[in-house]
Amino acid sequence: MSEALPLAGLPLSGLVVLDISSFIAAPAAAVALADFGADVIKIEPPGDGDPHRNSYRNASYPQSDTNFPWQLDGRLKRSIALDLKNADARVVLERLIGRADVMIVNFPPPARERLRLCWEDIEPINPRLVYCSLTGYGETGPDRDRPGFDVSAYFGRSGILDAARYEGGPPGLSLPAQGDRATAMTLVAAILLGLRQRDRTGKGCWVGTSLYANGVWANGTSAAGALIGAKLPPRQAPDRPRNALTNLYRTQDDRWLQLLMVRDDRLWEKFCAVITRPDLLADPRFTARADRRARALELVQELMPVFAAKTYAEWERLFAGTGIPFGVVGRLADVVDDEQAEHAGIFAETSNPDVPRTVNNPIRLGFAKPRPSGPPPAVGEHSEEILREAGFGAAEIAALKKSGALG
Amino acid sequence: MTEPGLPLAGLRVLDISSFIAAPAAAVVLGDWGADVIKVEGPDGDPNRRIMHDSSNYPKGEVNYPWHMDSRNKRSLVLDLKMPEARAALDRLIAVSDVLICNFPPPVRDKLGLGYDEVKRVNPRLIYASLTGYGETGPDRDRPGFDVTAYFARSGLLDAQRYEGGPPGVPVPAQGDRATAMTLVSAILMALIHRTKTGEGSWVGTSLLGNGLWSCGVIAQAALVGAYLPHRPPPDRPRSALGNIYRTSDDRWLQLTIVREAKMWPSVCETIGRPELLDDPRFATVEERRKRSGELAAILSEAFAGRDYEHWRQAMAAHGITFGVISRPQDIPDDEQAVACGAIVGTAIAELPRTLANPIKLGFAEARIAKSAPALGQHSDEVLAEAGLSGEEIARLRTSGAIR
Repeated sequence: MSEALPLAGLPLSGLVVLDISSFIAAPAAAVALADFGADVIKIEPPGDGDPHRNSYRNASYPQSDTNFPWQLDGRLKRSIALDLKNADARVVLERLIGRADVMIVNFPPPARERLRLCWEDIEPINPRLVYCSLTGYGETGPDRDRPGFDVSAYFGRSGILDAARYEGGPPGLSLPAQGDRATAMTLVAAILLGLRQRDRTGKGCWVGTSLYANGVWANGTSAAGALIGAKLPPRQAPDRPRNALTNLYRTQDDRWLQLLMVRDDRLWEKFCAVITRPDLLADPRFTARADRRARALELVQELMPVFAAKTYAEWERLFAGTGIPFGVVGRLADVVDDEQAEHAGIFAETSNPDVPRTVNNPIRLGFAKPRPSGPPPAVGEHSEEILREAGFGAAEIAALKKSGALG
Repeated sequence: MTEPGLPLAGLRVLDISSFIAAPAAAVVLGDWGADVIKVEGPDGDPNRRIMHDSSNYPKGEVNYPWHMDSRNKRSLVLDLKMPEARAALDRLIAVSDVLICNFPPPVRDKLGLGYDEVKRVNPRLIYASLTGYGETGPDRDRPGFDVTAYFARSGLLDAQRYEGGPPGVPVPAQGDRATAMTLVSAILMALIHRTKTGEGSWVGTSLLGNGLWSCGVIAQAALVGAYLPHRPPPDRPRSALGNIYRTSDDRWLQLTIVREAKMWPSVCETIGRPELLDDPRFATVEERRKRSGELAAILSEAFAGRDYEHWRQAMAAHGITFGVISRPQDIPDDEQAVACGAIVGTAIAELPRTLANPIKLGFAEARIAKSAPALGQHSDEVLAEAGLSGEEIARLRTSGAIR
């Protein structure tokens, strides 16, 4: 290992993982393994490396000159630049596979076959290997060869985007890599099941998952309903609620307050006082609970301008201690300084001055802490070191560099 | 109880949790061979009634959410507020491998179910805790739900909206189910640790932590001070050719034309507006970007004129790529959903198909789903396995500690 870190107490220390994957879901699973002690070797094409190194230039990403996504998905890995299309690279790859415990791939099946990286190709090289496959749409079926992305395979195809919307409105939106990162945790679970199986039987195995299956799993409640023909009720838009007292309201500063007044039988009087609208209390249209439900559309018209007249902070102050329940629609700008997020171990310090804080993986262990991370590797930063560990001599390494197999 | 070839065969799991994220983790362990005992209070897990209680759930004749989140479990009813029930639970804890709980910390303390207490009973036990907001801090005692802790508090809902529009809406239990896989991973890490050291341990996760992990890209960006602007709504997109359009049957097409210069004539032809090709307003990529609102209005009108199936065929014929926004009702008939293992058959007569957990293993098939248990269906059987005598069980029944 290149870093002198206290790895011994971590559950995955001693485990060697080859991350031959790109972009986010599969590499993020490798990150979670590294967080808990695994030695993760990232195999990348020489030159540009994993295209995810440039995701921060993507127009749909928050714009920054700091390569923040690479810190997140490249942390704690060592990089070897290997041109898998170069015939000389195969001997290197096989030597690395021979010493590894886990290998993670996400090539679409045709590329995998071309590169001879299917489990059938790999098993004879290392029968104790846990081979982990991520695909967009599964290993068989009409769409198995289709490259799958988060927004198309996890969100679009699974029915999440269609369901996550207000009645009559456009489909919901997903955030960059949102489904990829959730899928990463499934891959971690699959790999750990594979390792457990190896402990029991001495044999390696194939494990895997697909973005599509994870999207359907996340959408499982509605999908299970669809399997028996149940129809998802549409969400009412905030200006047309079924109940105006459990609804979203926009504040003066364009934030949203979730009013959650389920017990409006007890709280109506106090509510009218807090919003300084005693006229509503006297208004015969809204006297009884049933009236307020039946006239939800009239009541919402009264309340929208009320909430729009004050800022979110003012409302928070006014409602505090009144017993009127309301929810927070957090903004990331606040979350990064959220004391509770610190307590939940959600963010972690790094020793990379460019990206001093990062997002922890959400697994918490009583017996071990995730490793702190430094800067993620440059392409091929550890090529020679890794090859030396695998027993290659200086002359062999030089020859591989010369042929272009090694970057 | 379970097939020996499964990786978690022989593992006994106590699921003392409610609703979805934690019970769904127990389902996944059960799928892979664990013997899962669901410990419920006399009223049962409220998830048994959620289909009726929540206005956001699809309504059906079959209690599908309960089947899905409780398949292959056995149910034991214990009134944990009664000391004799709590003592009976200790007998079970002593012979179990994993305990999953999601009580908010104050309830957990009141029931004597904190890790320190449970560890004394069984030091080899893996104790898995799910909270809304973590184990310490100002909000640790706050009950956390999918929509509040995973989605709202994490900033996901605020970010998932169109410019000027209301916050996004998650689908029911979306974050809970994603969180379940994290909890499974945490438990498996602890099993590896136990194999190495012989010791049990505490593991856990929070809904808030999982919400932020899933939006890690924008959360990491926020940590360096970068933010994503809200997406413009579909009637004023940044590019009309990278936008979504509604069809006459209220479905949506995701148009994602990357090589715009090359594809523009095909687009005009597909929508039956060949004259646009000669329209100087839209002659170049720059002109089309500049007038994206105007062009989006033309395209929306065209797409609204025919149904989804028409457009699917027409675009395929012209080599135009587009994304599918499936509806939940499309999933059951999607061949690929079966091929990727998302949909599987069950042994439940009233629910012939269900959703598999997304983990696939080359060496084992997940157990087929059998009916979720009736409340207390296995109380006697489970306690007898833990070594309680017939007399002891009868006494517990008389006192109301078990049902």
